[in-house]
Amino acid sequence: MIRFAALLLTLGLVAAAGILVGGTPLAPADVLAALLHPHAQGDVATIVWQLRMPRLSIAAVVGASLASCGAMLQGMLRNPLVDPYLTGVSAGAGAAIAIAILAGVSATATPAIGFVAGLAAAILVAALARRGSGIDANRLILAGVSLSALFAAIVTLAIVRAQSNDYATAIVAWLAGSMAGRGWRDLAIAAPYALAGALLCVAAVPALNALRVGDVRARAVGVDVGRAQWIILAASSLLAASSVVLAGLVGFIGLIVPHIARRVVGSDARALLPASALIGATLCIGADAICRWAVAPAELPIGVLLAFVGVPAFLYLYLNAERAR
Amino acid sequence: MIELREAAIGVGGRVLIEHIDARIAGGEFVAVLGPNGVGKTTLLHALAGLRKPLCGTIAVGGTDVAQMAPSQRALHVGFVTSDEVLLDALTARDVVAIGRYPHHRWWQWDERPADRDAIDGALAAVGLESLAHRLVSTLSSGERQRVWIALGLAQETPILLLDEPTSHLDVRVAHEILALLRDLAHAGKTVVCVLHDLNDAAAYADRIALLGCGALLALEPPDAVLSSDLLERTYGVAMERVTLPSGGVRVFAREAHGAGTAT
Repeated sequence: MIRFAALLLTLGLVAAAGILVGGTPLAPADVLAALLHPHAQGDVATIVWQLRMPRLSIAAVVGASLASCGAMLQGMLRNPLVDPYLTGVSAGAGAAIAIAILAGVSATATPAIGFVAGLAAAILVAALARRGSGIDANRLILAGVSLSALFAAIVTLAIVRAQSNDYATAIVAWLAGSMAGRGWRDLAIAAPYALAGALLCVAAVPALNALRVGDVRARAVGVDVGRAQWIILAASSLLAASSVVLAGLVGFIGLIVPHIARRVVGSDARALLPASALIGATLCIGADAICRWAVAPAELPIGVLLAFVGVPAFLYLYLNAERAR
Repeated sequence: MIELREAAIGVGGRVLIEHIDARIAGGEFVAVLGPNGVGKTTLLHALAGLRKPLCGTIAVGGTDVAQMAPSQRALHVGFVTSDEVLLDALTARDVVAIGRYPHHRWWQWDERPADRDAIDGALAAVGLESLAHRLVSTLSSGERQRVWIALGLAQETPILLLDEPTSHLDVRVAHEILALLRDLAHAGKTVVCVLHDLNDAAAYADRIALLGCGALLALEPPDAVLSSDLLERTYGVAMERVTLPSGGVRVFAREAHGAGTAT
């Protein structure tokens, strides 16, 4: 309980910083007043409710989705190197969005195209990985990696063949991951799918716990392993596709946050999934705030920042902990 | 009770054992013996409902185990395997608690008093109370083996199947575990256990199921199964049988020059 209270407190503090930080400096008292009076008029209220709150909410959804998705997939496959994009969601969405940008499709339509293509790619990967009534872990990894490489090649081809620099820049900006320009409307579109993913995630908790001792033992204690795998795959595809729609490609969170959460609360899915979600949301909100503040009024891509700062920090922590054993 | 009727089992379409007709009653401790690759583990998987028989039926408590829902089956049959898996940050107690899965609906996440009793009882039965909160990855292979057995015990099923439960165990602990299994059987549980040591089977089992040549060669008390001829035909090595003053039997493999080797 104390650990969860600490995680919640950290999330609250980082979220507060996330609202205060940005291109326009805001006084804490003004922000508090705007938060308490959502319908008030004025610049501060507009900045808080139309710019920073939606960004913060989107960052929280993206971080929580990717981290819990990574925790589920790593647990199901018992492979610590698996990330949410293994299912081909991001690569499929990326290829579709790159083609849509090249075809001159309106920017407002590309997230929906990415979402549908991402889910389609996940279904294709799952179909290739199917064995009997369940999923073969090795086939899933092989199919996910192979199809992702194919989709990545399509994206590269799209960049190379782009007729104008604007198209190439738009594709690269999406690949780098960013929440710039996203608002309540985007969140309203993605949230139901993220919520559906989260509910499936909750349904998978007992099976995820049993799967920690291997498929055979899980089956022996009564887990319908095939059904549990499909639920986990559906949940992770919905969560990953929602976050891809909201923020493009955001790496690091889905791979590494579950490792951090495991060190904080252990591997029991009842604690691991909410802890992963809280840590993922905190990291994503914090990273987004730094991206908005560091080179204001311009913005850093969040995916790039997370990779540059997060990966070395994680490796340092991980290797130190290994040496201490 | 377990009942096999004209059952055949195999892997990948290859028949390993066929025409199995057998009945194992509640309160019996049956040891499954046979050479490597004969199908002992596959038979245990079939009894546990984890693998369908190629033909025939395997019934548990009167119901075809292959037709049971996984959650229903897990309330009747426990299966203990010593296969190693990567265990990340799991304590011995965490692992044993997984045995309580079939006693919960999917939304019931909390440990109840009955779960605590079953988990603590299972850990105590295998002598692991003091290691309950140790990470499994830091335990010896013998201690891990006891954790897997405790997981099966925590499941509290009337039938318990174990695949080589004494591998990795030293002599003392192996005999403690076999005595525990015998006591569980005599308290009413059906215990079916794959073993390699013929003399352990002779010492503890009520009956021995001897597999060989693609068939169930015998399902009889140790005294009847452990005959030199039958064992020699099954394992392809000459055996010497010794009758103990207590009436029990022990068998030894004979080397080519006549020197005895304990099996």
